[in-house]
Amino acid sequence: MSEQLIIQLLVSGLGMGFIFALIAIGLTLIYGVMGVVNFAHGEFIMLGMYATYLAYVTWGVDPVLSLPLVVALMFCFGLVVYYVLIRRVLQGSMQSQIFATFGLMVFLQAAAQFVMGADYFAVRNSWLSGVVKLDGVVLPVPHIAAVVGASLATVLLYLLVFRTSVGRQLRAASQDAQAAATLGINGSLMYAFAWGIGAACVGVAASLLANFYYIFPRVGAVFVLLAYVAVALGGFGSIHGALLAGVLIGLMQVVIGFFVSSELKYVPVYLLYLAVVLVRPRGLFGRS
Amino acid sequence: MIQTTSSPSRAPLVALVVVGAILLLLPLVIADRPFELRMATLVLLFATMGQGWNVLGGYGGQISIGHGLYFGLGAYTSAVLSVKFGVNPWLGLPLAILVPTLYAVAIGIPCFRLRGHYFVIATLVVAESMFQVFTVWDWVGAAIGLELPVRPDGWLNFQFHRDKTPYYYLALGLLAVVTFGIWRMGQSRLGFLLRAVRDDEEALRSLGFSPQVYKSIAMAISAAILGAAGVFHTQYVLFVDPFSVLGLHLSVLVALFAILGGAGTLFGPILGAAILVPLSEYSRVAFSGSGRNVDLLIYGFLIMVIAVYRPDGVIGWLSRSAGSRRRAGASMKGQGQ
Amino acid sequence: MLPLAGRQAFAAEPVKVGALYPLSGQVAKSGEDTLNGIRLAVDIINKKYPDLKMPLAADEGLPGLGGAPIELIAADHQGSPETGAAEAERLIVQRKVAALVGAFHSSVAATSSQVAERLQTPYVSGESEATPLTERGYRWFFRTTPSSRTQARDFFTFLRDINKTHNNSVKSIAVVHESTLWGQEFTKSVDGYFGEFAEFKKSIVVGYQQGTADVTSEVQKLIAAKPDAVFHASYDAEAILFARTYKQYGFNPQGILAIGASFGSNAFRDALGADANYFFVREHWSRDLADRNPLVGQIAKMYRDRYGKDMDGTPARAFTAMMVLADAINRAKSTDHEKIREALAATDIKGDALIMPWEGVKFDKTGQNVLTRGIFVQTLDGTPKMVWPADFAVAKLVWPRPAWR
Repeated sequence: MSEQLIIQLLVSGLGMGFIFALIAIGLTLIYGVMGVVNFAHGEFIMLGMYATYLAYVTWGVDPVLSLPLVVALMFCFGLVVYYVLIRRVLQGSMQSQIFATFGLMVFLQAAAQFVMGADYFAVRNSWLSGVVKLDGVVLPVPHIAAVVGASLATVLLYLLVFRTSVGRQLRAASQDAQAAATLGINGSLMYAFAWGIGAACVGVAASLLANFYYIFPRVGAVFVLLAYVAVALGGFGSIHGALLAGVLIGLMQVVIGFFVSSELKYVPVYLLYLAVVLVRPRGLFGRS
Repeated sequence: MIQTTSSPSRAPLVALVVVGAILLLLPLVIADRPFELRMATLVLLFATMGQGWNVLGGYGGQISIGHGLYFGLGAYTSAVLSVKFGVNPWLGLPLAILVPTLYAVAIGIPCFRLRGHYFVIATLVVAESMFQVFTVWDWVGAAIGLELPVRPDGWLNFQFHRDKTPYYYLALGLLAVVTFGIWRMGQSRLGFLLRAVRDDEEALRSLGFSPQVYKSIAMAISAAILGAAGVFHTQYVLFVDPFSVLGLHLSVLVALFAILGGAGTLFGPILGAAILVPLSEYSRVAFSGSGRNVDLLIYGFLIMVIAVYRPDGVIGWLSRSAGSRRRAGASMKGQGQ
Repeated sequence: MLPLAGRQAFAAEPVKVGALYPLSGQVAKSGEDTLNGIRLAVDIINKKYPDLKMPLAADEGLPGLGGAPIELIAADHQGSPETGAAEAERLIVQRKVAALVGAFHSSVAATSSQVAERLQTPYVSGESEATPLTERGYRWFFRTTPSSRTQARDFFTFLRDINKTHNNSVKSIAVVHESTLWGQEFTKSVDGYFGEFAEFKKSIVVGYQQGTADVTSEVQKLIAAKPDAVFHASYDAEAILFARTYKQYGFNPQGILAIGASFGSNAFRDALGADANYFFVREHWSRDLADRNPLVGQIAKMYRDRYGKDMDGTPARAFTAMMVLADAINRAKSTDHEKIREALAATDIKGDALIMPWEGVKFDKTGQNVLTRGIFVQTLDGTPKMVWPADFAVAKLVWPRPAWR
């Protein structure tokens, strides 16, 4: 077993891991602020990818250039979903929240197939395609972009949450909505904002994914289960937890896929989650 | 109108007798319509599965999106016993119920320490792991699945080829037994304690009860019911493969039927199945061929509407409107009786 | 309840045929394509097409039944074996169909043909490939398409041919397969041939779950194993993902040979551009067959005009299954199930009456068509070209693959 191969596996795993992390961060942010898990999160990815693809085929805009546009669109979409759907189930039980977002998932998937058909699309020869070779180790450019994107997103989110007045209001609203209201903080606006940012994070991930991944109505399902596990493993609501867990999952699936079984490469990831919550029922970094 | 003649306490009983009679006589009307007969059978089967989910999810408040696993384990155990060992399905039944039950209890021990979404995700990954294992496990046919041998018609073999009405009555019988059992449980000390687990675990603990124990009991009952439903499915379809008995969509559907009908109520899961199964079947027949998934578009929209406007499920609306007419009307909810 | 009771066809009373396909859900697109092939066949049978040199085209309806047209009743099974069985029963009992065609998914074909067997109704499958379907001793099940075992053999004969002209360069073979029934069936079938084709040794078998997010570990395994040739069983989505990952890591065996059309599909070629070149696909059908038989070109054009997309192997096989069934009903001169079954068993259609590259259609005792032939196409300059067997080739195949650019 050559050293180079081991390095290659680790590097590839890290690259994928940061993509999982980017998806998971948006999910965990929403949870952290209002305690709702968005089961339509995968469909947010799907929408972001279609947006990137449509910009590419209609105007020939490269995914890198359309990224800000897609992120802005997804931010608005997050707001809309909050005001139209989530706001109305916020007072309800956990099960009604689960099924509201589950209904949204089914609806968005069907809507995508209705509009775009069941065909597979892909962006070809984008700027972020190809590879960089370092000492015989292959670094796919989209992976490098994912590492940069996820790290940036995490840093920006931390700055936003802990260094700005909006962040202060967000935290206040997430800790005690009523007390925050007495301080003149509009809780509902903060929640909407969290959905917007959560969806915007997904927009970044979707835009990067569109560089090398195929696009079809169910593409969200490919990533979303792992993203849920990443969020839960890292601890619901913890941004750095989601980042770390996402990267860990990316690494595990490559290493296990290579050395143990590629057919069952996700099973140990799932078992890891069970093992961790057995010891730490709130994940690696979850708040109690 | 019911309220003019019957007293509040007797109204549900009358309704039950009427519905029961309709269910018993239904096959006479649709005996030569296999599509409708199958749909009615499926409603009963899914209602039973919803009831099973409800014991843990509704009464016990532990939301599982992995209950398809216990259905699948029951289905597979029954199939393996038939195909590999030639065991009569009736003789295999106890084991096919026992396997998912024991598995569920074993899974429950670590998982019941988890709260809220941590528990939900745990049920999800356990079910998904088993699905993936079954797709590559050669001994149980891997992704190819197992086809059961066709045996002569009759109750002895649990196979009815010419006339499928007996399957309907078997499903009806299973649902009736399960519903009756859950009704008794709802009235018993166990039912009370389960609801206490859901509503205030700490209070229960302070009274000296172990929430873990009652969650495990609920999980065992729940898995046993799904296992029995799985056995029925295997003998009805005579085929198992990972996708059709262990797929994640089953886990979601089961929970969906119970929640949309009314989680934690005696008749909620039945109502949920009775509404959603025909809806999905008829929309499939009506819209199929469009290739545009119009049926799922409607389905998804409806789920959102119900989640927003009827978070307690459709039965909440029924019992509320009935209640407002009768003022002190008895709730149809299991715990209200 | 038995639907056999001697129903005599009056002149022009339509003959009902049920079609079981996945028309919603994940593979709705393939189901729709398949059904379009069937619809085209029914149209050709029912209307006058004197220009087409194939049986039943020249006149209206089935001459054997006084010109009775075929009435197609489509049913959606969503890929569910349970639904498929129920729909088969509904079509036979409630709609009183004379015969069934179906079902795309082999798992659905298994349960729905069980119903047909029990209700003694002829069932013709044009595209369900799982080998065991014709090994169950069924009387009423007929399959026009080759089983996955027959198809797997073509991969080995192809490589043996390559070795003759390329200095025995191929010694080891890797198999990459998705882990649903189709991929596992293919892998099992391939496994069985290493004895007969002893010059090849099995390098590595890499399975993966459909819908996997990343195939890096799979590709790294292949790179480590260094096979000379790769057999691939993947659906559209992962075909795109694998091809891109192969390029990323520079994995370049002498040849990559795929079962199923995904590595030559429109979606694949659109997604990969020039990188889609040089993949081989073991195909059932190719437009290039029109050079040998003008009928193929005519039918392909009709299909394109009608449904707005190019014909491929899936609708072509379904089309053929429907024509074979219609031929049998016509010879049976009756809608009686037993008579149709006997006519099916006696089927003997010559290759030039088909749009397939086959020598013809003739069923053995198990109901399997024994006159099928496979072809290989290779994408060259963005277009799939028929390159094998030699007597069918319209272009010279490229072996080994050039390096990735």
